[in-house]
Amino acid sequence: MIDQELKLTLAMGVLLLPLLAAVSIGLGARRWRGLSAGLSLGASVIAFLCSLILFIKFHGAPAAIVPAPDAGIQWLQLGEEFKVDFAALIDPLSLLMLLIVTTVGTLVQIFSLAYMRTDAGYSRYFAGLSLFLFSMIGIVLASNLLLLFIFWELVGVSSYLLISHWFEKPAAADAGKKAFITNRIGDFGFLLGILFVWQIHGTLDIIELAGMGAVTTTTGLLIFCGAVGKSAQFPLHVWLPDAMEGPTPVSALIHAATMVAAGVYMLCKLFFLFTADALVIISWVGGITALLAALMAIQQNDIKRILAYSTLSQLGYMVMAVGCAGPAASLFHLTTHAAFKALLFLGAGAVIYSCHHEQDIWKLGGLRKKLPITFRAFVIGALALTGFPLMSGFWSKDAILAQAYATNQPLFYLGVIVALLTAFYMMRCVLVAFDGDSRSDAANDAKESPAEMTLPLILLSALSIGLGWSWFGLKVFLMNPVIWLGSKMNGAVPLNQISPTADLAAIIAGTVASLAGLALGWVIYKGAKEDPLPSKLGAMARGMRDKFYFDEIYAWLNKWTQERLSHYADWFDRWIIAGLGVRGTSGAVDLTGCLLRLVQSGNLQTYALLLALGLLVMLAFFLF
Amino acid sequence: MNLTLISLEIGVALLGVLVLLAGLWTPPNRQHLLGFCTALGLTIVLALLVKQGVAVDPITDSSGGFVLDGLAVFFKALFLLAGILVTLLTMGFSNRLRTAGAEVYALNCFALCGMLFAASANSFVMLFVSIELITITFYVLTSLQSHRLRSLEAGVKYLILGAAASAIMVFGIALIYGSAHTLQFNFIANGLAAGHMKQLLLFQLGALLLLAGLAFKIAAVPFQVWAPDVYQGAPTPVTAFLAIGSKAAGFVLLLRVLYTAFQVQPDGPRLLEPAALLSLMAAATILFGSLCALRQRNLKRLLGYASIASAGYALLGIVALNERGAAAVLVYLAGYLFAIVAAFTVISILTPDDEDEDLSILAELHQRSPMMAVTLTLAVASLAGIPPLAGFIGKFLLLRAVIEPTATFPWLVSVALLGVVASLYYYFGIIREIFWGTGQWWTEKKPESARIKLADSQVVVLLICLLGMLVLGLYPQPLLELATDAVQVLKLAN
Repeated sequence: MIDQELKLTLAMGVLLLPLLAAVSIGLGARRWRGLSAGLSLGASVIAFLCSLILFIKFHGAPAAIVPAPDAGIQWLQLGEEFKVDFAALIDPLSLLMLLIVTTVGTLVQIFSLAYMRTDAGYSRYFAGLSLFLFSMIGIVLASNLLLLFIFWELVGVSSYLLISHWFEKPAAADAGKKAFITNRIGDFGFLLGILFVWQIHGTLDIIELAGMGAVTTTTGLLIFCGAVGKSAQFPLHVWLPDAMEGPTPVSALIHAATMVAAGVYMLCKLFFLFTADALVIISWVGGITALLAALMAIQQNDIKRILAYSTLSQLGYMVMAVGCAGPAASLFHLTTHAAFKALLFLGAGAVIYSCHHEQDIWKLGGLRKKLPITFRAFVIGALALTGFPLMSGFWSKDAILAQAYATNQPLFYLGVIVALLTAFYMMRCVLVAFDGDSRSDAANDAKESPAEMTLPLILLSALSIGLGWSWFGLKVFLMNPVIWLGSKMNGAVPLNQISPTADLAAIIAGTVASLAGLALGWVIYKGAKEDPLPSKLGAMARGMRDKFYFDEIYAWLNKWTQERLSHYADWFDRWIIAGLGVRGTSGAVDLTGCLLRLVQSGNLQTYALLLALGLLVMLAFFLF
Repeated sequence: MNLTLISLEIGVALLGVLVLLAGLWTPPNRQHLLGFCTALGLTIVLALLVKQGVAVDPITDSSGGFVLDGLAVFFKALFLLAGILVTLLTMGFSNRLRTAGAEVYALNCFALCGMLFAASANSFVMLFVSIELITITFYVLTSLQSHRLRSLEAGVKYLILGAAASAIMVFGIALIYGSAHTLQFNFIANGLAAGHMKQLLLFQLGALLLLAGLAFKIAAVPFQVWAPDVYQGAPTPVTAFLAIGSKAAGFVLLLRVLYTAFQVQPDGPRLLEPAALLSLMAAATILFGSLCALRQRNLKRLLGYASIASAGYALLGIVALNERGAAAVLVYLAGYLFAIVAAFTVISILTPDDEDEDLSILAELHQRSPMMAVTLTLAVASLAGIPPLAGFIGKFLLLRAVIEPTATFPWLVSVALLGVVASLYYYFGIIREIFWGTGQWWTEKKPESARIKLADSQVVVLLICLLGMLVLGLYPQPLLELATDAVQVLKLAN
């Protein structure tokens, strides 16, 4: 019992401290920059420590093996049938995710101390970060789907606020809007899915649902829509690259390590809801996203956009793994990806900071000597991302490939191609940005960043190398079936039941792909002054650079369907609804109101008369 | 009579007398201290009330005219909270009253004392006396700003119309006594149940007149005529007190009279069927209040009409004739307390002495005082019933009580919803003025832009109201349970 109480107290601390920080900054502390940053950072450090204690104490303890919804607060009960509990569901899975979120969150805040120092909206920025942490932790701890959805939306809001942090810049404001609206499309499906789940099972409580098993394929896919939006899967992937308009630490926290991972986390947690058919579709959506995004990344010149497309591609990998009945492999990659992608983004942030906000890699160059720490950290991150042997990404990528090999061979080959492309574009990015001569004044004067920024880089480098190794225990932890909700696992193939053949195939193919991609990149881009690819590939390269015209296609679609429709709707609205309906009604109502007010003439005698009349009416009503 | 039973009421009355006396020796520049002491005293009384809690069985005095039960305690807490907030609000306003500050605090205490008695009234004598204590005090309070013609005019109007209403009510009580030979609620109920009532028609007539009197208190159609003028004319803190205190007193008496004395229960003796009458009254009240508010530009008058509509919504809970409905009335009034006090606080700060309270004074408020802008916005949204604020929960429960378990009056629900839609128009008109208003466009005058400095007492009131609206809206379960427990004594069907 004491354990349960400790658990709940700590979890509530983790959840509420960032909220407290955000509220107090919003209410007054924002006038003092240092205080705001301190509050926000303090809250996240304590939240991190609490998560660490929680994880160490409960990740395998018997109490956590049977995940029980910890006594929460009954939020609202209306009648017998409608109950909403405000309760935390603390199982090993959420503990792992808590740890990831708070670790990256804390490091990003430390990094931001220096990165955002000269920003006018310093306090607002930290309030936004804290609000985001609160909402994200809420998703992780939510014990029922309704609560999950509420926090899901809150995450959307805080992401909007942070992307549009520099709202005076039209691109940033537009990017915020785009992210929000695109997410709304996915969330609409998600909400429908939740309603369907309620209709089918009569409850939204995750534990109760886990005991009931899968829902229909359609419902599962509707739930998946939520993940498609939040984790930026094809065809709703368009918002993530634009979201790079936000401050770079935000990109590291939200658009690489945590928020976009929320979709994958949700899929893993609710894995028991999906039927086999739904999983096949999910896996293909993930695979297509991975391939398309990797292709687009090859022809990007903005260092952050390269990373953004790589994030898309890796998220596609994770979703593909879930679809291949391997939520464990997916979460494994999610964890390692959180470390090395945050590292890459923060590294890019350090480069941008040192080079006066120059983001075009062709205008950088020669930074290897000038920014030694950043360079090494970035290379470690890049190697981890490409799945270079013995880095953390190597292990997790292999797990996914092995999973695909065992369940869906075509996706295995697709995965290998993506791995090759990944290695290629990361080699391009590293060589062009860091090697050779400086190609602009900004890159020429670059100086290493302050310690607040290099420290998170070093810590994340260590994690990027070490997370995957077996002594770290992450893989063993994920292989343990008790951490998964739903007894049947619904036909999932746990990591430890993958055949040795699949494992071997994955390791060999993964390593070869990674090395080949790196070598190819080296050959083409070593010493290059400009990109040789467009002349060689022609139209293909243009397509990659212009993101295969998805934005244009959507704009065209929008023009021919929605705008055409809205044109007619507008006419109907203007003349029929507004003209006849609203104006007519409101005019009539207004007139009645004006007439009625004549009654209130202010004349006492009239009032007394009305009083008497009223009484008479009452009497008449009573007597007749 | 057992004095400990009415110790709280005695305490509040004594507090009023003490403040009045202390006012004699307090220099004019220290008058705000009196307000502070009053608020402190009332807070202590509230703390005592909470500590004393609710007895398991209702306690009555020997004559049975005074009862202390869950319902009484709930309303006493509500009144005390309103009293504290209004006292704090008055502190920031007292320099505009141009009278010695002590009087207004003392009068607030006396009115509050009347409300506390009303919460416990269990006989028609107690009912009448407590109502008169409240109303007579309010006659004085309304006309307290004697240099303002409007204030005097409102006082006179309230006095004359109120006297007429009292006369009607007294006549009703006399008829009831004539037929029932008792004034105590429980005896009347017993008499009704046993069929001892000889002159039933006379009794029913009396009951009807009594209802008319109570309807005057809550400003329900057709007895609403006084409300807009009095709300507009009275000093703003008094308007706030009138809007929540006087109205809630009317509702607790209505609940008690209908359910305890007249036993208006779905399965009770069907001697009096006020549901049809009350439903008509509720519909007319909602429509009248909402429609008249539409084009209103005077803020206080607008809120006056809006409060008429609010009384209409609260009546829905009584029309439902079930426990949920009665509980919903309590929840609604609790949410209404914070919203209406917040709104009137902002108005009292914004309106300089002799100027009109036109909507245009709200222009640029979000620049002049972000806190007031946020509070007023939330207060108005709560009054309109927008989730997740307290007002939403109340309105939602009221509507649900009428719809479930059987839709008693389907047409009434649609009228109520129409009223809600109309109310959005005028409530959001207020919000529009706050953020996008351009001041008086018909004159060339630029809107005020100087920042507003708030007094500490005003900040406290605004914060309490904000907190109340948000907490009750976000986590309504405890209040809902309290209200459900409180209405148990009415012994209604679920």
